[in-house]
Amino acid sequence: MNPGLFEFSPLLAQARSGAALTTFLIYTLAVFGLAAASNRLLRSKSFLSEYFLGSRSLGVWAFALTFAATSSSGGSFTGFPSKIYTHGWVLGLWIGSYLVVPILAMGLLGKRINHVSRISGSITIPDVLRDRFDSAAFGLLSVSMIVFFMSFNLVAQFKAGSEILKTLLQDVDTFQQGVAWVAGVTSSRGILPDVDPAYLLCLVTFAVAVVSYTTYGGFHAVVWTDVMQGIVMGAGVLLMLPLAIWQVGGLVSATEQIARMTPPRLGLANIELEVPLEENVAVSSPWFVLPGEDVAHPRLFRVSRTLAIPAHQRVVEHVKVVEITTPEEIERQLQRLSEANEIARIDETLRTLPETQIAWLDRSPHLKGARVTLTLSKQYRFGDQRRGVYVTGPGPDPPSLPRYPGTLIVDVGEADAEIQVYDQNGTLEVTRHSGEPKVVIALERGGHRLRVSSPGFAVFAEEVAIEAGDTRTVQVDLDRSGNSTAVDDFPSQQAAAFSTGFLPLSLAISFFFMWGVSGAGQPSTMVRLMAFRNSATLRRGIFTVAIYYSMIYFPLVIIFCCARVMLPGMDLESDSIMPQMAVTLTENIGQGWLAGLLIAAPFAAVMSTVDSFLLLISSALVRDIYQRNINPKVSERTIRRMSYLFTLLVGAGATLGAVNPPQFLQDIIVYTGSGLAACFLGPMVFALYFPRANAIGCMSGMVAGFAAHLGMYVGGIFVNGSFFKPFRLLDFNPIIIGLFVSFATAYVAIHLTPPPPRKLVEKYFYRRV
Amino acid sequence: MKQLDPVVVHSRNEAILITCVWLVAMVWAVPFCYFNGYIDDFDPQNLQTVWGIPSWLFYGIVVPWIAADIFTIWFCFCYMKDDDLGSEQEESDIEKEFSGTDAPDAAQEESQA
Repeated sequence: MNPGLFEFSPLLAQARSGAALTTFLIYTLAVFGLAAASNRLLRSKSFLSEYFLGSRSLGVWAFALTFAATSSSGGSFTGFPSKIYTHGWVLGLWIGSYLVVPILAMGLLGKRINHVSRISGSITIPDVLRDRFDSAAFGLLSVSMIVFFMSFNLVAQFKAGSEILKTLLQDVDTFQQGVAWVAGVTSSRGILPDVDPAYLLCLVTFAVAVVSYTTYGGFHAVVWTDVMQGIVMGAGVLLMLPLAIWQVGGLVSATEQIARMTPPRLGLANIELEVPLEENVAVSSPWFVLPGEDVAHPRLFRVSRTLAIPAHQRVVEHVKVVEITTPEEIERQLQRLSEANEIARIDETLRTLPETQIAWLDRSPHLKGARVTLTLSKQYRFGDQRRGVYVTGPGPDPPSLPRYPGTLIVDVGEADAEIQVYDQNGTLEVTRHSGEPKVVIALERGGHRLRVSSPGFAVFAEEVAIEAGDTRTVQVDLDRSGNSTAVDDFPSQQAAAFSTGFLPLSLAISFFFMWGVSGAGQPSTMVRLMAFRNSATLRRGIFTVAIYYSMIYFPLVIIFCCARVMLPGMDLESDSIMPQMAVTLTENIGQGWLAGLLIAAPFAAVMSTVDSFLLLISSALVRDIYQRNINPKVSERTIRRMSYLFTLLVGAGATLGAVNPPQFLQDIIVYTGSGLAACFLGPMVFALYFPRANAIGCMSGMVAGFAAHLGMYVGGIFVNGSFFKPFRLLDFNPIIIGLFVSFATAYVAIHLTPPPPRKLVEKYFYRRV
Repeated sequence: MKQLDPVVVHSRNEAILITCVWLVAMVWAVPFCYFNGYIDDFDPQNLQTVWGIPSWLFYGIVVPWIAADIFTIWFCFCYMKDDDLGSEQEESDIEKEFSGTDAPDAAQEESQA
């Protein structure tokens, strides 16, 4: 296999841009076509049932694919590939419970929830709970839960969709012109000065597309687009799998190469140009080498993402870099780079570079002579220098780099000293030996503890405060050490933060548990279980989704393990590994247009999730709050107008929320998904299968599940310093605690309170003979 | 005389079986992967693969996945009952809601009968 076959090419960006634009346009047209067809259907049927539930008429393919597509959010095609690339084969275990997810999520509740909803005439999940127990309070409680969780989730999904769209379109000329226009408008009017204009344009485009077709077409539009998107996702994976295995030289070869890999080092660097440039220049992820300890083995680095060099600026600070540490990988990549860029081969000349020189492995003339100062180099928290860590558990665990870095310059003069920087908790962050008089270190903003030691001298210790983007210089005179600060030395110093790896046993159990039950407990999937036509549709649907998931999830693990070999150095931008891999695979066989189809998959996944959530919230507002509690005798015409209006308003609200989205998006998605399962699964199981279940018991279970789950997250603030680093009771994920508490509370409360009215039990559990 | 609706009986039995399968899958997959795939001093020379997949993952996840698919086929086409889930009576309920009249519930219908 010619290694150059799958090499990065400058043409990739152009190929991707053209394919992406074409794909996006075709996609949008198809989606609007389906919405129009769906709207025609709306006119001929009962509006509410059709708009929010598709008249319970879904056939096998529509039912199976809308279920699969809704369950597979953008995370399946962006976050999941990124995790595979970062942590290796252990992701097979992480996603392992998907082997039973289809039968569990659809079979556990499917037949019975459809049955009960038909008896009661329910068209939403709160409807089901309200009617099953004849309790308006339960209906309102469940609506509150859905609106609370889904609103946060929707904002996060809008942001995810916009980010994916930005990745797809970033190299398109028309898009860049649009971005320039948006930037001009926002800056001239002084609005949204802190928002990236490219993101803003993508957000508006995404929102207009999704909100329009969802509002106009309703449930059937969502289902039909889900079917189309499900097919795109499946086709994308099935195309990529053989291409990846073939181009990597066989899966056995790939796994053997991965087994020899050691995790890279992640860091920050300052790049100093020989001469400032006259205009802004962007260089796409250049590679460079620095001399290693052994002249025969240079250190190989890749700049993450595009290196943006502003005009008239000599030093570009805090550039993220990845250092490859596996000798075989360095050798292979140097070979690829020399072939792809037609630069001088990495030969003896390069390997005998003087100590201070670097070599840029890029044809860009702008970087010629530019010097690099590594200001931070972090090893993996778990797996550093360990071969085999990518093919065994628990998988490598990368460090985090400063989000808001500042610079600390430690001037030690001629002394030979060891420099250590600790955080405020006394945990070691950086260790450096002074090779030069001034040591430059990049640190996260905030307080740090500097400690400098040298044999024969007292320890120098000082508290330093770092501001984002600023530089702080500390003069260290080791002769006077101990006098320059009130702190003689810092107490409770400890080694760098300890990690048990990416997927320790307790987390493996938690995830196996979580994927299975959280899928079954989502209102968005439950509502689809109310929409299939008959039992035969459910049977065939479960079978179809089982096969579909088998073709999607484990193959994704294979594809992106191959990506580790084919596209090294993307560890700090692994969220774009999916589009990058799609472009690489198709370009290598001379079929770049196919990339459009492949990179449409993540976009399709996030669209299919967003439209379903949008409809879920608007149905909760229109049906469950307005019609059933405020104005039961409302006319169909008013309901129709309100449904359009609320879908539009919810979409607009989510768009506004996503303009300045909260920081921890993936964490929000995890919190809301697990929270909904903790609230709804227990009460729904009791409602469907236990005749003794009553409203008080199930409501207690819902509230207790919500409180226990929330308690774990609030506990995280006190124990781990962040809401999104939840407290893990007995080391288990909050969803397990939430579900356990929900089931136990409901069971106890049901048996401590009076039985439900007999007529309700007879209505939902018995039949006349 | 009243008896449990067959849909309730069948769906409950199916739910119990599904829960058991899920537990069996977890009891097999997680411990197998842990005891065979979590190795502190791994030597790449000792890597064992099946079709290029690390063997601990192949036997811990891939084989159960294939078994789960076979079980799903059996479950869907041999075990799961084709129950009558009821007619589209909710349509008429909604129409009546719009027209401002309350639909009699099944229990009332029952007592009238």
